[in-house]
Amino acid sequence: MKNIDQHNVNQKKEFETVGSISSSKDVVMSVKDCNVFYGENQALKNINLEVGKSEVIALIGPSGCGKSTFLRCLNRLNDTIDSCRVTGEFSLEGEDIYSGDMDVVLLRARVGMVFQKPNPFPKSIYENVAYGPKIHGITSSKRELDELVDLSLDRAGLLEEVKDRIHSPGTSLSGGQQQRLCIARAIAIKPDVILMDEPCSALDPIATEKIEGLINELKENYAIVMVTHSMSQAARVSQRAAYFHLGDLIEVGDTKKIFEDPEHELTKNYIHGRTG
Amino acid sequence: MNKSSITEIVNKNLKTRYKKEARFQRYGQFSIFVAIIFLVIFFTSIISKGYTAFNQAEIRLNVNLDYEYIDPDRTGNIEEIRYGDFDGIVYEAFYKLFPKVKSRADKRELRELLSSGAGIKIQRLVIEDISLIGSQIDLWLPLDDEVDMLLKGNIDVDLPESSRRISDSQINFIKQLQEQKIIENKFNTTLFTSGDSRESEQAGILGALVGSALMLSITFMIAFPLGVAAAIYLEEFAPKNRFIDFIEVNINNLAAVPSIIYGLLGLAVFINYLGMPRSAPLVGGLVLALMTFPVVIIASRASLQSVPPSIRDAALGVGASKIQTIFDHILPLALPGILTGSIIGMARALGESAPLIMIGMVAFVVDIPSSPLDSSAALPVQVYLWADSPERGFVEKTSAAIMVLLTFLLLMNSLAIWLRNKYEIKW
Repeated sequence: MKNIDQHNVNQKKEFETVGSISSSKDVVMSVKDCNVFYGENQALKNINLEVGKSEVIALIGPSGCGKSTFLRCLNRLNDTIDSCRVTGEFSLEGEDIYSGDMDVVLLRARVGMVFQKPNPFPKSIYENVAYGPKIHGITSSKRELDELVDLSLDRAGLLEEVKDRIHSPGTSLSGGQQQRLCIARAIAIKPDVILMDEPCSALDPIATEKIEGLINELKENYAIVMVTHSMSQAARVSQRAAYFHLGDLIEVGDTKKIFEDPEHELTKNYIHGRTG
Repeated sequence: MNKSSITEIVNKNLKTRYKKEARFQRYGQFSIFVAIIFLVIFFTSIISKGYTAFNQAEIRLNVNLDYEYIDPDRTGNIEEIRYGDFDGIVYEAFYKLFPKVKSRADKRELRELLSSGAGIKIQRLVIEDISLIGSQIDLWLPLDDEVDMLLKGNIDVDLPESSRRISDSQINFIKQLQEQKIIENKFNTTLFTSGDSRESEQAGILGALVGSALMLSITFMIAFPLGVAAAIYLEEFAPKNRFIDFIEVNINNLAAVPSIIYGLLGLAVFINYLGMPRSAPLVGGLVLALMTFPVVIIASRASLQSVPPSIRDAALGVGASKIQTIFDHILPLALPGILTGSIIGMARALGESAPLIMIGMVAFVVDIPSSPLDSSAALPVQVYLWADSPERGFVEKTSAAIMVLLTFLLLMNSLAIWLRNKYEIKW
């Protein structure tokens, strides 16, 4: 099986333009020849991928295939891991993400992130959302900040539920609410791209449904890159999907096509539950 | 193997398994029991020996604050009054109680019953309020520590007179005083208001207390900010390389270095090389700070490490810089642990005597230090000094000093718990 996998991976070379998207869409982020190493281990091999405006792109694949690692390259969160080394060209609206000119703080202000486990700060709901705008100095007055917090909470579909207790701790919310709070926190700084690392894996189906609905609304204004383990979720919310396998990007394309008629054997096996 | 035989086998083993568990629990209970027994013995011994030190035998005397003794030339000058013959006043009042005593030898025996603190007490009163001169007042004045010991039952009167430090006739005098009901056990304020003394009835722990307090504040002011800063740097900023590993290993080693070595270091560097004063709380505080420093670093690092990485990710994810992440999110979460660890380290420093002995804080200091540069004693060293004194009176004083030291340790540990609960952020 291992050999067959390896053989199939090699087949991939046929699709040289694997990550590119049709030119009719605007490219927000593009990645060329991304390689990531953890010490001696190579976690990602020659990944090429583009992210367009107003789209949700789902990264799918078996556990340990490098999806999350790839996601964390996009806002340079891997910088915090000492043994991690990233090579390749990453650009955000034409600017090189890993160049010396790009400040990592600025980058993260433009590329927001929502994590697998809801991780609100142990502060009030208000403070959670207001923290980003505050440190970046996005608002100039208290009133403006209040408005931005309300707007972000509203966009995250949380305002109705929490408006009476906006100063109670963010950690007192339910899991689903906490995750929406984290989304509100991410959109409060008006990023270009939002990265989501399995945002629903710790949530129950009802909370998941709410978040998925929210992602659908958010894609109007933001490019969203989402890692997910749920095939059905990828099918429901994403326009394009990228299949990763053991550090390789095997196939990328319209979600519909990937699910109905994958070009690659490995993708087919995964979609049909034979790998992973 | 059929189903019922497996059930049998499991059943058979079940008994031994539960037995093992019960045995283990009993071991634990036994250890706790032993610990409690020792603690009870320890506290009973100290408290039973020491509680009497909080009382002191005093005598009510009607003293005549005569000008003749205090200010024969009636100058009204404080400096003149300071050198008045206050002991004379006390003796005169005391002799009056024994009109039959005439011989000089007997009078001397009488005088020995009084504490030399009695005259000093009157001196202080008079200096505070000169208008008292010329009047006649009732005062409670301290008796000698031997009398105190006799009244507390610590002297065996059945011993031959030559083996006691109090003679038969003196015991007789005291009996007469007791019959007149002018001897009483009063609360010993001297213990808390004065410095060390060669006379146990005049010895107090205020000097040591102030010395320890001065020292600890210096220790805290140096070890806490430096230790926390070092921990933050090592944990958050330092590159992971061999040099940093080497530093880490050495910090852990420093925490285990015997405290007396720090005392030697303080003696060599602060006193001999930098020329700082001997026996001063400043040097003591610096030495204890050096000693506490690695403890603070280790506690702070452990506390910083225990902050969940998800919080770090969250802060970095919204674009907080490293320093903002640390000060806005990580440090507040780590602070309770840092404070607890540091206060425990400080408590250890408070109880430390070996390094202080090296830097000369074992000296006999009567004055209460008014600045970190004055000579001073410290609580644990005071315990050591008093435990070494031959007079009976110091036995109970030693226990009393231990009680005070323990009270402060207890207070510091309670403060640590209180701070931890107050700043602990729950989620």
